Amino acid sequence: MTKIRECEVLVVGGGPGGYPAAIRAGQLGLDTVIVDKHGLGGTCLNRGCIPSKAFIHAASKFEEMSHIAEKADMGLTLEKAPVLEMAGLVKWKDQIVGKLTKGVGTLLKGAGVEIVAGWARFEDAKTCVVTLEDGSTQTIKAQNVVLANGSVETELAFMPFGGPVIGSTQALELSEKPEKLVVVGAGYIGLELGIAFRKLGSEVTFVEAAEQILPLYDKDLTRPVTMWLKKNKVDVHLKCKAKGVSQKSGKTFLEFEDAKGELQRLEADKILVAVGRRPLTEGWGLENMGLDMDGKFVKVDERCQTPMRGVYAIGDLVGEPLLAHKATAQGELVAEVIAGHKRVFDPMSIAAVCFTEPELVGVGLTPDQAKAKGLDVIVGKFPFAASGRALAMEGGADGGFVRVVARKDDHVIVGIHAVGKHVSELSGEFALAIEMGARLEDISGTIHVHPTLTEGFAESVLASLGHPIHISA
Amino acid sequence: MADTYDVVVIGGGPGGYNCAIRAGQLGLKVACVEMRGTLGGTCLNVGCIPSKALLHASELYEAAQTDFAKMGIKIDKVGLDLPAMLAQKDEAVDGLTKGVEFLFKKNKVDYVIGKGRIAGKGQVVVTDAEGKETTLATKNIVIATGSEVTPLPGVEIDEERVVSSTGALSLKSVPKKLVLIGAGVIGLELGSVWRRLGAEVTVIEYLDRILPGMDGEVAKNAQRLLKKQGMDFKLGRKVTGVEKLKSKLKVSTEAASGGKEEILDADVVLVCIGRRPYTEGLGLETVGIEADKRGFIANDHFKTSAEGVWVVGDTTYGPMLAHKAEDEGVACAERIAGKAGHVNYDAIPGVVYTLPEIASVGATEEQLKEQGRKYKVGKFPFMANSRARTNHETDGFVKILADAETDEILGAHMIGKAAGEMIAEVVLAMEFKAASEDIARTCHAHPTLSEAVRQAAMGVEGWTMQM
Repeated sequence: MTKIRECEVLVVGGGPGGYPAAIRAGQLGLDTVIVDKHGLGGTCLNRGCIPSKAFIHAASKFEEMSHIAEKADMGLTLEKAPVLEMAGLVKWKDQIVGKLTKGVGTLLKGAGVEIVAGWARFEDAKTCVVTLEDGSTQTIKAQNVVLANGSVETELAFMPFGGPVIGSTQALELSEKPEKLVVVGAGYIGLELGIAFRKLGSEVTFVEAAEQILPLYDKDLTRPVTMWLKKNKVDVHLKCKAKGVSQKSGKTFLEFEDAKGELQRLEADKILVAVGRRPLTEGWGLENMGLDMDGKFVKVDERCQTPMRGVYAIGDLVGEPLLAHKATAQGELVAEVIAGHKRVFDPMSIAAVCFTEPELVGVGLTPDQAKAKGLDVIVGKFPFAASGRALAMEGGADGGFVRVVARKDDHVIVGIHAVGKHVSELSGEFALAIEMGARLEDISGTIHVHPTLTEGFAESVLASLGHPIHISA
Repeated sequence: MADTYDVVVIGGGPGGYNCAIRAGQLGLKVACVEMRGTLGGTCLNVGCIPSKALLHASELYEAAQTDFAKMGIKIDKVGLDLPAMLAQKDEAVDGLTKGVEFLFKKNKVDYVIGKGRIAGKGQVVVTDAEGKETTLATKNIVIATGSEVTPLPGVEIDEERVVSSTGALSLKSVPKKLVLIGAGVIGLELGSVWRRLGAEVTVIEYLDRILPGMDGEVAKNAQRLLKKQGMDFKLGRKVTGVEKLKSKLKVSTEAASGGKEEILDADVVLVCIGRRPYTEGLGLETVGIEADKRGFIANDHFKTSAEGVWVVGDTTYGPMLAHKAEDEGVACAERIAGKAGHVNYDAIPGVVYTLPEIASVGATEEQLKEQGRKYKVGKFPFMANSRARTNHETDGFVKILADAETDEILGAHMIGKAAGEMIAEVVLAMEFKAASEDIARTCHAHPTLSEAVRQAAMGVEGWTMQM
């Protein structure tokens, strides 16, 4: 006989949306069950943000040492080039992932949440049957349901994953470094991984359908990344469409149509397809729940509520941006909404970070986006080449900068972007500044520590006001 | 006689050059007098910047030998070419000091090389290297002469074996044994650099704690981490003398309260017990300014007791930090131009560039207790932050202190990789008089270390989630 578990809150999906929702619900005293099949922490912790960042971190170190072996730098010398043991790198990464996912389990238990490992399939909006790992099933009936099923990698129909064609998940599991790697898609996932493999010594080529890399950012911002790619002999084929994979005399090729419509091909050991992600809306009974859709996403209101009372959806399932921290914010919010708090999801902005080389951070609007919205804006820019801290950590020469965009009439800041080495940690201040509705004068009136990269933000603000100190106006 | 200046700034460090550039921007006729021969002051020439340039190289040197194998990166022994490392540092410094000269030209600031001395109201006499004197007439004088290393009685600094921070930035070889006198910011930063490059480092501190003035919990944690890295601490002890033998130095110490003598061997001794205002030969008496016992010049919104004489930076009260001087310099120029320049002394952050970094802003727990203010604490360890875990940089934590009733953030103290960059967010929050909830409810990018700042803020109201 099937067991039936009744609960106040059922969370489906243990990723960065689901597990914070469950913890918060537990903290608020709600009887909560979370169902997850593929490892707590979701895509982010198991095969996304975290392993990729560990990989990128190690690749950067390897590259630094390779440079030193080629040519002594900063007073450091190395007689022999460093040797990469891919298995060691993968093991190191797996250890980190292992510790973190275990940590999530501990946190959930600490908050009094029951964890059910298995695949949930809804029979109706409030009832699901979970197929457990031993093949048995368990039925869960919930007063409130939080859908946090996340997203999956988009495959190209004419070249599905398998053989030499891999997705980002497999790219992080390779036991050998590919000598020739072709990356289809120069968005942030493709670039982060492609750049890391280049640092590890692979020959890397990009094929991108849009007319620029990182299509969500403007050319000004992506220029330093483009410069790095050029300097490191990474070819980027823009306005080119992947067409398929071919084999000839034991070699694998990616076939693509170039900007002129001519067919070209590139030899590859591995072809990494990184053309985006799509919400996971199949295989778990969504069709039985009577919910509305918004294109390919599940439709929700500003409280992450579906039209079905007591059914909420969060994260990648409900729309752009497909970012872990957006999912987390929604997860926490939903738990509070269920607990009766008055909350709406209305962030002024959601920061985005690309761990490319150099790194890129964006919060709010770019100048083009602001203009498209009809805003009359002023823009200030400060190059890291003029920052003492950047120069002191080999970060002044890559063309990086901070850029601020503010409304011309009242100086309210609407966008902050930075590109440069180690800028990812500037995102906290950027997000807070926009969230609190800061004006340019609020930033210029705040003392920024010397010598830090954050001074660049204050200087970009001074530049927008027409009186920067450390660059000529 | 030459034209009269609106402003003559004495000193071309962070306080002075920022003041001069801002004055130039505001249309004032301005000159900046600097005797060093290069602009940028202590900070750019022998302080913040050169010491930071050594951080990166020395961190990589150490990590390459201790951490990389774990990640599957196999390397042979990394060699150290100290002269090349120092040359690279000098290059960075040179580029930046030249940059300031260029900024002077752009902002129409006259750069006058020589030692400036006040010679009565509206008069600054500049003596150049050859001893030639020039008199500048000016409506306003800004004192930005900065600070110098505080000497230790009985210990003579030769900048070869017994060094100040200046000499410690250009040692000719890595000392086998380095003894630091003073466990303050400068000592711990430079001591860390030389330890990473291979020196055995012992720190002698008069007080019974390191980093005096910083939050006690953070200081204690920092000491534990530095000790784990191999730094040896001898607290509650004072140095009574340094004997220079041919082959080594003998450092005599005793308990702060006297007795319990102990002699330590050293190859190099770094004296870093602090800095004191530098006003020697400045001619303060000609305008009737009297410095206090410790050499500081009092000010009211940068105005001294003498009309038309202003003061910014290390020569006046407040933390001896470049960014505090910079902000004062800018605000002072604005006041001279009739604007309302202002510095908020409650939100001046400080950073210690050890590994991991230490950063703080606002009140410490000790200060709040002393004030009798009711406060709440939110804390989050980097051990539970995913970005720190992926980079194997899990040491340290973030602590946020907020008013128990209003939730206003009163202080933040953190120790951890990149803490120096993360403190900016809390400083901005404090400038807004934000509540801890404002940070807790702001979406922070994943995976970044800054998420720990948010989790700590959540902890103030007890809803931290990641631990």
